[in-house]
Amino acid sequence: MKTVRWEIPLKAEMVRKLEVGDIIYLNGLVYTARDMAHLKMRTIISEGGMLPVNLEGGVLFHAGPVVKKRDEGWEMVVVGPTTSMRMEPFAKLVAEIGVKLIIGKGGMGEYSQQTFVDHGMAYLQAAPGCAVKLAQSVEKVLGVTWPELGMAEAMWAFEVRNFGPFVVAMDAAGRSLYREITETAQKKITDWFPL
Amino acid sequence: MGLELEQVRSEINKLIRRVCTSISPDCLELLKKAREGETEERARNMLEAMMENVALAGEVNKPVCQSPGYPTVYVRFGNSFQIDLPAIFSEALISATKEGYLRPSIVHPLTRANNGDNSGEAVPNFEYEFIPGLDYVEVWISFKGCGAELANAVKVFTTEQLGKNFSGLKRFILDTVLRASGIPCPPIGLGIGIGGQIDVAAKLSRKAISVRDWRDRHPDPLFAALEEELLEKINQLGIGPAGTGGRTTALAVKIGWASTHTAIAPVAVNFHCWVARRGGLRFYPDGRVETLLVGGQGA
Repeated sequence: MKTVRWEIPLKAEMVRKLEVGDIIYLNGLVYTARDMAHLKMRTIISEGGMLPVNLEGGVLFHAGPVVKKRDEGWEMVVVGPTTSMRMEPFAKLVAEIGVKLIIGKGGMGEYSQQTFVDHGMAYLQAAPGCAVKLAQSVEKVLGVTWPELGMAEAMWAFEVRNFGPFVVAMDAAGRSLYREITETAQKKITDWFPL
Repeated sequence: MGLELEQVRSEINKLIRRVCTSISPDCLELLKKAREGETEERARNMLEAMMENVALAGEVNKPVCQSPGYPTVYVRFGNSFQIDLPAIFSEALISATKEGYLRPSIVHPLTRANNGDNSGEAVPNFEYEFIPGLDYVEVWISFKGCGAELANAVKVFTTEQLGKNFSGLKRFILDTVLRASGIPCPPIGLGIGIGGQIDVAAKLSRKAISVRDWRDRHPDPLFAALEEELLEKINQLGIGPAGTGGRTTALAVKIGWASTHTAIAPVAVNFHCWVARRGGLRFYPDGRVETLLVGGQGA
């Protein structure tokens, strides 16, 4: 188990060095995306269009913040992770646009796990429900893409410093903390209450 | 001096702001206890982050969690109930949203269109309970996280499927908790509704974990024992806070029940995230107001 502090953008070779259980802090540009932003990205790409954001080596945060409009720009009020499993069908799409790390909660499935192995990506678990704490590391909201989707579903871009700690919960070697925990627990349930 | 409408309005506005920026004191106490009993370092760190986040939210008067969840209002009232609570709550939610206490998260179920202020058809959801002769009006608001909702489950059991010593029922609940793992923001509170028909079981499961004190004990020994056994077994699964391992998977298991038809045993499982944003007010006819399980400033 190691603790790393990385600058965004990232390279696949770096991400491949991460192992399940490592702790990571991030500096740089982070984008949020949840259900609607993923659907929007899929539509644009399937129609042969260009995305309005560059996610090469980037970090995608499954989150919908609370922001306040200021005279100039935006103020980040709070931001925390949303349930990542809803974004499971988009694993490959996200890999192909260059995303290297996904931050969220609850983990993702086997389709994502295989994609992480193929593309040198990892999944980071944030402390759930800790939105005030995470917002403290947001230095500046740079902008918003697709604001018409509403505050939660729009894609927000913001600069972070010492953003974390996040636990590496799924790595590029194919290990998933969630899968390992589930397998052990399933055995216990079967022992207690055999079918 | 009797109870004035303006007073009710103002108390409800204050309640919503306090509930968003804190967690209920029973949940906070259970979190503290869990941290003391947690042996795994990562799990302890997660619990500490959660408690630090709650403290910070209170200090800076910000919402504890970015997701406001889904608002449900529970009302208990007697014969003299005459307040237009839906209008008061709807206005209070909209103004709290404009002030940044609640993210606008309510959308049309099919078009997904967002009004931008948490207004919407049948929002908040109201659950009324008429108690003849009750001399006060009790209102509860619960902002229940919706990541947690993704893991909810319902099953209509036959008598045979309940199993010996309810082993079939217990297995269903544990399998549901395991399938949910980190999704509902553990440590969870688990509401279980047993009986009625599926809609009744579902409502009972939500109410049990939304309104009961997470530290209390079920008055019926059969259900008290079931709650205790399930809590113990869930915490032996090793899912842990955030789902990344540890002893603290659940803080509470609460059962609500109703009699049912002899052919069926409907069971609903309802997850609550650790961010227990809920609390109640009791309005007396003479103008007295009592707070119930409200966290944050003044708690």
